[in-house]
Amino acid sequence: MNLLTARIEALLLASDEPLSVQKIHVLLLSSTSTEPHSEDSLSADIQHALIKLESDYQTHGIHIAQVAGGWQLRTAPEHAELVQRLWQVKAPRLSRSALETLAIIAYRQPTTRAEIEALRGVRVSSQMLSNLQERGWIKVIGRKDVPGRPHLFGTGKQFLIDFGLNGLKDLPDSNQLMDHDELNPALSQRTLQQSASEQESANEQNSEHQHGTQ
Amino acid sequence: MSETAQLPLIDSDAETHTLPPVHLDQFEGPLDMLLHLIRKQKMDVFDIPIAIITQQYMDMLEVQDDLDLEMSGDYLVMASSLMQLKSRMLLPRPEIDDEGNSIDPRSELAAQLVAYEQYRLLAEALNERPLMNRDVFTRSIFPEADDVERPLAQADLDALLVAFRQVLKRVNGEVRQQIFTEPMNMRAQMAFVLQRLQHSSMQLDELLHHSPGREALVTTILAILELWRQQSITVLQGEHFGAIMLLARGEEA
Repeated sequence: MNLLTARIEALLLASDEPLSVQKIHVLLLSSTSTEPHSEDSLSADIQHALIKLESDYQTHGIHIAQVAGGWQLRTAPEHAELVQRLWQVKAPRLSRSALETLAIIAYRQPTTRAEIEALRGVRVSSQMLSNLQERGWIKVIGRKDVPGRPHLFGTGKQFLIDFGLNGLKDLPDSNQLMDHDELNPALSQRTLQQSASEQESANEQNSEHQHGTQ
Repeated sequence: MSETAQLPLIDSDAETHTLPPVHLDQFEGPLDMLLHLIRKQKMDVFDIPIAIITQQYMDMLEVQDDLDLEMSGDYLVMASSLMQLKSRMLLPRPEIDDEGNSIDPRSELAAQLVAYEQYRLLAEALNERPLMNRDVFTRSIFPEADDVERPLAQADLDALLVAFRQVLKRVNGEVRQQIFTEPMNMRAQMAFVLQRLQHSSMQLDELLHHSPGREALVTTILAILELWRQQSITVLQGEHFGAIMLLARGEEA
């Protein structure tokens, strides 16, 4: 392993949050023992070293993951149970309501509580929202400029880190998400034919009922 | 009689469509329950047989013997929406919108169901990812704050509120022996906090520790927030969820 890679590896272990290429660059520059590189090439070299490390670590019990715009060392998921035993904690299970709320905020941010409730069809509990906030997964990012000035919610950096995402564009199936407004015209097209014939049969049955056993 | 309708709109023989009873607990709400009914019976969400679904929905609500008060509101709203839909579907002439196009009264419900299902699936997709502290773990070997000067960054309001909440939670469980009859004065508390910080910077926990009882605690918290707003004090935090440091303005950390 060359010196640059070794130094990056050391930094990754010692950092308690994902390190960006930029941050590593700054750290290496401030060190007197860094060989002279041109500005651009050092960043590129760091990037290459990280990608190589990532692939090298694939077979190890620890991985390097690219999350939240930086790089982080973490245990491989295959060993989850073992580490849980070491830490002597049972991983808390995420409730479906929390996950659904989180998903809505993640994909529709900025969004208000009212929008979340409309999409889920139920009230959203304040406790759940504050729970998600405490984990750093969601945060209030402003207020909507409508009467009542409700809070606008978005996801926080910890969300990206904890779910192993490099950025919001890496959310699963984000490209397949149908826009809410697209849904309505799509629906009226399909049901146009059927509603007409249904009204007919409904009328026939209705008149039957009236003349029949009523 | 039309061949395109797979299920009759009005079905006098409701017995053929009854389902095994389930408890509402397993559902996230009325949308979840409706989707369950629709998917389980392989109905077309774009062509919901309203009368049948409404009947089944009402039947399910009826057999619940312990309906959570908070939840029941949402379920009842849906019940009335369904019944309204049912009567709209019985109108002799199809409804038309402003442009003269025929509209299906069920389209809004169908859109709502499809959207909800989408997010439910996305939520599952999120849950399937390797999750921190469940499937993957990191270890920070950062030395204790006492040994090393960790650069402190401006804390944001969120971090402060999280810290306050934790302190309040702790206090709620404690029983205080002394009863203070003097009402807490926020201005006085602000002066008190500022005075202590002039003396030396303090950690949030330390400062709040001296406030006996919940009322004093809340007043102190308000005092801190006001001082922060006025920019008389600075609030710093070293690491995520780490200890919060308070300093009087103009002091070095």
